[in-house]
Amino acid sequence: MDALRFERVSKRFLLRHDEHRSLQKWFLARFRRSPAEEFWALREVDFAVPAGETFGIIGENGSGKSTLLKLAAGILRPTAGRLHVAGRVAALLELGAGFHPDLTGRENVYLNAAILGFSKREIDTRFDAIVDFSELERFIDQPLKHYSSGMLVRLGFAVAIHSDPDLLLADEVLAVGDEHFQRKCIQRIDQLVRAGKTIVVVSHSLDLLRQLCTRAAWLDHGRLRAVGPADEVAVAYGDAMAQLDGTIQRIDARRWGSGDVELTRVELIDGAGRPGRLFHTGEPFTIRMHYRATRPVERPVFGVAVHAGQTHLLSGPNTRHHAMVIPCVEGEGYVDLAVPALPLLRGDYYVSASVYDWTLRQAYDHHDRTYPFHVESSPGHTVFGVLELPGATWRHAVGAAESTAGGTGQMWPVSSVHRSPPENPPA
Amino acid sequence: MEQALDTRATPLARAVRHGRWVLRYRELVRNLVVRDLKARYKNSVLGFLWSLLNPLLMMAVFTVVFKVLMPNDIPNYPLFVLLGILPWNWCTASVMGGITSIVGNGHLIKKVAFPRELLPISVVISNMVNFLLALIPLGAMMVAFGVMPTPLLALLPLIIVLQLVFLCGLALFLSCLQVYFRDTGVIFDVLLLAWFFLSPVFYRVEDLTEQWARLMYILNPMASFISLYRLVVLYGAPPDALFMLRLTAQAALILAVGYVFFVRYSHSFAEEV
Repeated sequence: MDALRFERVSKRFLLRHDEHRSLQKWFLARFRRSPAEEFWALREVDFAVPAGETFGIIGENGSGKSTLLKLAAGILRPTAGRLHVAGRVAALLELGAGFHPDLTGRENVYLNAAILGFSKREIDTRFDAIVDFSELERFIDQPLKHYSSGMLVRLGFAVAIHSDPDLLLADEVLAVGDEHFQRKCIQRIDQLVRAGKTIVVVSHSLDLLRQLCTRAAWLDHGRLRAVGPADEVAVAYGDAMAQLDGTIQRIDARRWGSGDVELTRVELIDGAGRPGRLFHTGEPFTIRMHYRATRPVERPVFGVAVHAGQTHLLSGPNTRHHAMVIPCVEGEGYVDLAVPALPLLRGDYYVSASVYDWTLRQAYDHHDRTYPFHVESSPGHTVFGVLELPGATWRHAVGAAESTAGGTGQMWPVSSVHRSPPENPPA
Repeated sequence: MEQALDTRATPLARAVRHGRWVLRYRELVRNLVVRDLKARYKNSVLGFLWSLLNPLLMMAVFTVVFKVLMPNDIPNYPLFVLLGILPWNWCTASVMGGITSIVGNGHLIKKVAFPRELLPISVVISNMVNFLLALIPLGAMMVAFGVMPTPLLALLPLIIVLQLVFLCGLALFLSCLQVYFRDTGVIFDVLLLAWFFLSPVFYRVEDLTEQWARLMYILNPMASFISLYRLVVLYGAPPDALFMLRLTAQAALILAVGYVFFVRYSHSFAEEV
């Protein structure tokens, strides 16, 4: 069952060079028939998005991405071809549609929700969740003109994301608010994905595309250049862009970035200072990133990510989040992340290494899950799971249990703990 | 937010689906009306008191002009002229607001899919609410002049509904026209003045020759409405059944034409505003 299907859809715009339409001009136009210039924003676009899929649309500015979304949202009509949309659509094309500065936050939530097609009951039942999500409880009865632009965006997003759509269409408006709110938005979208909703994201950020989408389409001057797995489409698109301007380097699907700072070598080093691939639980472990900067680059952010297998991200520290500022890099050097006692248990892991600009939006060089290593645990370490809890100790006391200080902690009856089935050890 | 996107469906099926879609947006009409009223009154000190006072002041002006300066023999003239001013104000406000309702909300039209007809319709409705509120000072005036309402007052809601139907049709038509011909608003600045003098706001239709009166009733529904309001509120006389029937048909026809015209062109609004 397709949530969204385009069948040879074309969209033509007529460009009128005199924007002011008046009777005078209209009468004149009857006499001098200068036909309006045609512009085909989309030509014979043909693809389908099955229900439950997160689908990305990528392309340069002016490639027809927004037109495609507006067609799917029902704002525009196709000039030719047919399109099917199943179920309820929510389009995050504009946040806070119809907001009025003189009305309070509360009144605007109702107004905005009504424009998005909520019924009275839907608004009533979701109002608290919307306000909660926006984190604007304190201001909700203030007129909107006293809100900051960030607050407006939060309120708008909160309403839109609570419309419980079957199909969510999102333009790059996702990049809104502060980091905390952005994370919240991505989480909420993740929830929708897991609830089986279909999501179509339009972006020209390859990173976002890889992060969110399973499949993607590449639009080029209104025509589909490629449809397929997001990774492959991203690579093809990245290659094409690299050929165009020569600055973006893309070696393979696992590596991307502008190359202003290049990670030339990544070493995993044990307690004895030897690079290798085999490490032991509880022993020192260092990730060393050798870099070369072709020009002076200010405030780069180095980061690593450790994955259990290829799928689970265990930890992703970077220099910025640890308040380490590297003022400027030029030429060669290296950055170490030193772990005094490796908390990982027996298993296979992968390391990603990356260097980004200060905002973390622009990748200079990103090696995605490129460096594998293996961990062995000596006897005396935990057998189940992937992590040793740092500093964890056991204690045993005999006699009637005293309640813990303050007595606020949740107590479970011991018997129920004993009766619950044991956890299965990981395979 | 589902929309009739299947361009292969029969016109009837599409109309039914469109109707269902519009019905889902009932809440939007209420919200647009509330937004309009709240925004209108929030910023002025006297708030909505002004909107009650305004027709009374107009009434005073007309009374001075047509009772003192150029006396006429119409009894209860202040009430008489007020019953012309109130429906006329509803009409002009709806026409002017309706004309800009689509073009002025271009940002919404371009970014959100919702039934566009709700914009002009909500303008007419919010002005109707103003009209209804202004009936309060009208009632006070009636008490002051010792005019007692008759059971015929029960016909008032029917006349209001008919005027609502007429104004909705007009607003739909003009809001759409303004998208394609931006001169519509300017032309109507002048047309409304002419229309005002060609409507019996400060005079009686009966004062005209029979031919002119007949022509006015046929060409200008506002003349019929104003005469009807005076008939049931002020004079307590029953309106002619045939007259009512003709006006009903006229209002319904204008709504139908306006709506069809609007729906026919509304799908390209996002490209034109």
